[in-house]
Amino acid sequence: MAGAGLASRLYRGEAGLDIVGRRKVWFGLAGVLALISVLSFAFLRFDLGIEFAGGSSIQVPASVGTLEQAEEAVDAALATEGGGAEVVTAQKVGGTGDDFYEMRTSQLSTEQSNAVKAAVAEEFGLPVSDVSGSQVSQAWGSQVTERAVLGLVIFLVLVMVYLVLRFEWRMAVGAVSSLLMNLVLTAGIYSLVGFEVTPSTVIGFLTILGFALYDVVVVFDKIQENTRGITANSNQTYGEAANLAINQSLMRSLNTSIVALLPVGGLLFIGAGLFGAGTLKDLGLVLFVGMAVAFFSSITLATPLLVLLKNQEPRIQAHNKRVLARRAALERGEGSAKSAPRPTESAEERNDPEAPALAGAAPKVGARPAGKRPTGARGGRPAGGGNRPGGKRR
Amino acid sequence: MAPPQKQMRPGRQLAVLGAIFVVLYLLVFFGGGASGSWQDRLEPKLGLDLVGGTRLTLEATNTVDGQAPTAENLEEARQIIESRVNAFGVAEAEVVTEGDRNIVISLPGENRDLTEVGSAAELRFRKVLQVADGSGAAANPPPSPSATPTATPSGSATPSGSATPSGSATPSGSAAPSGSATPSATGSASPTPSSSVQVTASPTGGEGGGAAAPSLSATPAASPSVTPTPSASSSPSATPAASDGATPVPASIEEQRRAVEQKVGAAAWEAANGLQSPTDVTTDPSLVEKLKPFASLTDREIAVLPAQMQFNVPQITCGQLDARPPASISAVDQQVVACEFGSIKYLLDQAKVVGTDINDANAVLDQTSQWVVSLDFTGSGQEKWTALTREAFNNEGAACDPSALGDSGNCRVAVVLDNQVVSSPEILGVLTSNSQITGNFTQQDASDLASTLRYGALPVTFEPQAQQNVTATLGASHLRAGLLAAGIGMLLVIIYSFFYYRLLGSVIFLSLVLSALLVFGALVVLGRQIGFTLTLAGIAGMIVSLGVAADSFVIYFERLKDEIREGRSPRSAVSRAWIRARRTIISANAITLMSAVVLYIVSVGVVKGFAFALGLATILDLVVVFLFRHPIMTMFARTRAFLSPRVSGLGRALPARDKPAQPRNPRAKEA
Repeated sequence: MAGAGLASRLYRGEAGLDIVGRRKVWFGLAGVLALISVLSFAFLRFDLGIEFAGGSSIQVPASVGTLEQAEEAVDAALATEGGGAEVVTAQKVGGTGDDFYEMRTSQLSTEQSNAVKAAVAEEFGLPVSDVSGSQVSQAWGSQVTERAVLGLVIFLVLVMVYLVLRFEWRMAVGAVSSLLMNLVLTAGIYSLVGFEVTPSTVIGFLTILGFALYDVVVVFDKIQENTRGITANSNQTYGEAANLAINQSLMRSLNTSIVALLPVGGLLFIGAGLFGAGTLKDLGLVLFVGMAVAFFSSITLATPLLVLLKNQEPRIQAHNKRVLARRAALERGEGSAKSAPRPTESAEERNDPEAPALAGAAPKVGARPAGKRPTGARGGRPAGGGNRPGGKRR
Repeated sequence: MAPPQKQMRPGRQLAVLGAIFVVLYLLVFFGGGASGSWQDRLEPKLGLDLVGGTRLTLEATNTVDGQAPTAENLEEARQIIESRVNAFGVAEAEVVTEGDRNIVISLPGENRDLTEVGSAAELRFRKVLQVADGSGAAANPPPSPSATPTATPSGSATPSGSATPSGSATPSGSAAPSGSATPSATGSASPTPSSSVQVTASPTGGEGGGAAAPSLSATPAASPSVTPTPSASSSPSATPAASDGATPVPASIEEQRRAVEQKVGAAAWEAANGLQSPTDVTTDPSLVEKLKPFASLTDREIAVLPAQMQFNVPQITCGQLDARPPASISAVDQQVVACEFGSIKYLLDQAKVVGTDINDANAVLDQTSQWVVSLDFTGSGQEKWTALTREAFNNEGAACDPSALGDSGNCRVAVVLDNQVVSSPEILGVLTSNSQITGNFTQQDASDLASTLRYGALPVTFEPQAQQNVTATLGASHLRAGLLAAGIGMLLVIIYSFFYYRLLGSVIFLSLVLSALLVFGALVVLGRQIGFTLTLAGIAGMIVSLGVAADSFVIYFERLKDEIREGRSPRSAVSRAWIRARRTIISANAITLMSAVVLYIVSVGVVKGFAFALGLATILDLVVVFLFRHPIMTMFARTRAFLSPRVSGLGRALPARDKPAQPRNPRAKEA
C-alpha cells in the first residue's frame, strides 16, 4: 500500500518530497549534464538534415512509371551505391511538357551520385543521360537561424522583464536559468544520441520555450502565494515554504506534463511507427524530450535556484535564522507551536485540533488573511461565498 | 470583486462565444475568396509538403563573360530571393540553389506568378537627358500604319493644357504626309503620358508642351521647321555621349557589337551611327529603309548597342528595350536608354544614386491617396541624392534637352529599376530629406516594389525559366497520418481527463472540440486572407497546442480540487478557483504569446510561420478558457450532478474533509 499511499499523498499535495533541501544534488547533476551537453556540441556536433546541410537530387523522367516505382528504384540504388543515403522527399515536377520525378537525398559524392544514376537508369532501361542529378543547397539558410536566435534572445530579455514585473528578479533568474538549462539539455540529448536535426526539430525546440516556462510559472505562482508575508511568523523557512509549494503543485505539474505529453506521444507513435522518419517523428521526438526535461528542470532547478537566491536576501536570512532558533527552542521543550503568531482569523484556526502536530511537517503560512470557512457557503452565497479577501489578489 | 457579477452572466459569455463562432464560420463559407462547393470552402490552404505547388527555376546569367557566379554570390542571391518570397505572406516557401547556377523557388498553391522575385532589382537614379517616342511609329513610314500609332500618343496629348493647339494640330499632321506626322507625335507624346499617370510629373506634361511650344506650334505650319529644334538640342547631348564612349567597353561587348554590325549590314550600321537624334529619319526618309534591319535584332543584340544608337534608331522600340536581358543597363558610369510606359524612350545620364544608397523602403499612401514608395536614404546616399537633385534642379551645363525638361524648366530624374523607368518626376527643388517614388501603383505594386528595394539588389542576374507544378513532397499518406495522430492525441487526453476528473472530463472534451473547430475555422479564413498555409509541421503543432490548451484546465481543476477539499461548496469553489487559476493561466499564456509575437516579428521563413500558428493557438486557448470553460463551469456548479463528489471527479478530494488531519494542509495550500 506504500505505492498507493504515495499516490494519494501526491494527489493531495502531501508527498513531502524534500526537493529544495537536496538542491546541491540537483545543481551538481545539472552542472554535469550541462557540461556533457556542451562537450557534445563541441565534439559530436549535430546530425543535420538536408534542409540544413544540403543534399543531392536525382531526376528521373516521368515516363518510367509511377512516383512510387521511381522512388523504390532510387532507394534500391541508394542502398547499394549511396553509402547510407536515403530518399528524403520525392515529388513529380511537371507542367511544361517533360515531366520528371525528383528525389532529394542526403548528400552524395560525385562518384556515389554517378553510380546511383547508372543503377537507376539500368533499372528502367534508360540511357544514363536521361537520369540527371545535381547538388541541392540547404533550404534553411543561415539567415533563418540567425533571426531565430535573435528572436530567442529578444524573447529571453522580454520574458525576464515580464517575470521581474510579475514576480521578482530572483524568480525571473530562476525561471530563465531553468529554461536555458532545459534548452541546453534537450539539444545535448539530440547531439549525444545523434537524432537528426530538421526544421521540424527546430520548431519543436522553440515550442518548448513557452512550455518550460508554463511549468515554472505554475510552481512559482504557488511559491509566491505560500511565502507572502512569510516573515510575519516564524513557522517555516523560505526554503521549507518553497518546498511545500513544490509538493502542493507537484500533481498540477505532473498533470499538465502528462496532458501535454499525451498528444505528443500520439505524434511520436504514429510518426515513428508508420513512417519510421519524417516531420511527425521529428516534432514528436523533440517535444517529448523537451517537455520531459522541462518537467524535471522546473521542479529540481528553478525552485532550488530561487531558494538559493532568496536566502541571500538579508530579510529572508534573518527570518530563516529566527525560525531555526525558535525551532531549536521548541526542541528544548519550552513553549508550544500553538502559540505561533497568527495575525488574522485565528478563530478559524482553532478548528484544527491537529495543528500543532503538523506544524513541522506541513507548516502553514498563516499570514494570508484567507482562512477557510468551515461551514462553507453551501447554502448559497449570501455574502458572496467565494468572495474572500484572499480572492482579491491579482 | 468580479466573481459575483461574473457568475450572474455565464450566458452572456457563451453568447459572445457563439457570436464569434457564427462570424468565423460565416467568413469560412461566405467570406472573401470563398468559392466552390461547400466542401471546397472548408478546405484550409495546405503547404508544399502536403499538396505541392508551383516551382520556378531561375538560371543565373552573366552577360559579360558567361561564367557561373561564385558560390557566395549565389547563396546571397538565394537569401535575398527567400526574403522577397517570404514577403508575400506566411506561406512557407522553399528556396534552394541547385547545381552551380540555379535557384529553385517552390511555393505552395498554383498559378502564382513568381517571375518578379527573380528580377535583379538594380535601382538607379538617372537624369533624363532626352526623350523620344519608343512606340516604333517613326519606324514605319507608310501612311496607314503610322496614322494609328501616332494618333494614340497625340490623342493622349490633349490633356496637356497649354499644348491644346498642338494637340488639335497633331491629328491634322498625321493626316498630312507621314514625314511631318512623326515629329509632332514625338514632341507632344513624350511628356504627356506621364502627366496622366504620375502626380509629380503631371505639371511636367503641361510645361513640357510649353518648353517644346515653338516646335509644336511650328508643326501645323511646316514639318521641316520642327527638325532644327530637336537636332540643335541634341548637340549638347552629344557631348556626354562622347564621354560615354570614353569609358572603356569590355572586349566581349565590342565583339558582340561587331556581330550585330554584320547582321544589320554595314549600311544600316553607318546610318545608325550617323544619326544625331531620333528625328533625323523624318528629314531623310531614305534612312528608314536603311535602318530597317534593326527592327529584327534580338533583345540580347539590342542590349549591346551603344546607348546613342539605341536611342536614335526609331526602329528599336520600347518593347525590345524592355525585353533586354537583365542587368543590361546596370552600369553606373554609362549613359543608358530606358523606357517608361512601354512607349517613351529616354536617354539617361550616368547613375548618380543607386539602390545601395537606400536604407529602407516602404509603401505608403501620399496626400493625394496615391500609393507611393517612400525611400529612406543612407547617410552618404542622402548626400548623393541631394547633389543629384541640385544638379537636376539647376540643369547644370544644360545637360537636359529642352524637350526632356519638366513643367518648371528643371530636369527630370528617372527612377530606373532593372531595364525600365518606374517614374520620372521633375525635380522642383534641392531635396535634402527622404524621397518618394511615385507612379500609378496599386497597393500591391507599391509594397512589392518596396520589399524588392528593401531586400536589396541581387548580386547575380537571373533569367526565369518556365514555371512548373510540383506534387507534394510528403503527400496524402502523411496528411492522413497527421490527422490520425491528432485523433489519437485528442483521444488520449480525453481518456485521461475522464479518468482523472470524471464528469469534469466532459468539460475538457467539449472545450477541446470547440478549440479544434475554432482553430480549423481560423485556418481556413487565414489561409484565404493572408496566405497562411498549413504544413505537416503545422498540423503537429496544432495537436501539441491542444495538449497545452488542456493544461489550463488542469491548473483550474487542481485549484478547484484545493478549494473543495478545503470544504467550500462547489459553487463558491468554482468562482474562487477561477480567480486564482486565471492569474496563472494568463501569466503562462502571456509568456507563450510573447514568444510567438517576438519570433513572428524577428524571424523569417519557416520559423515565422510557426510563430504565427503558436500565437493563434494561444489566443484561441484564451478565448475558450474565458468564454467557454468559465461560464460552463459556473453553470455546472449549479447542477445536482456537480454537487455529487463521486461524479464530479472531486470525490477523492472531498472525503479528506472527514478526517480531522486533512484540512490542515489544504489551508496552507490555499494560503
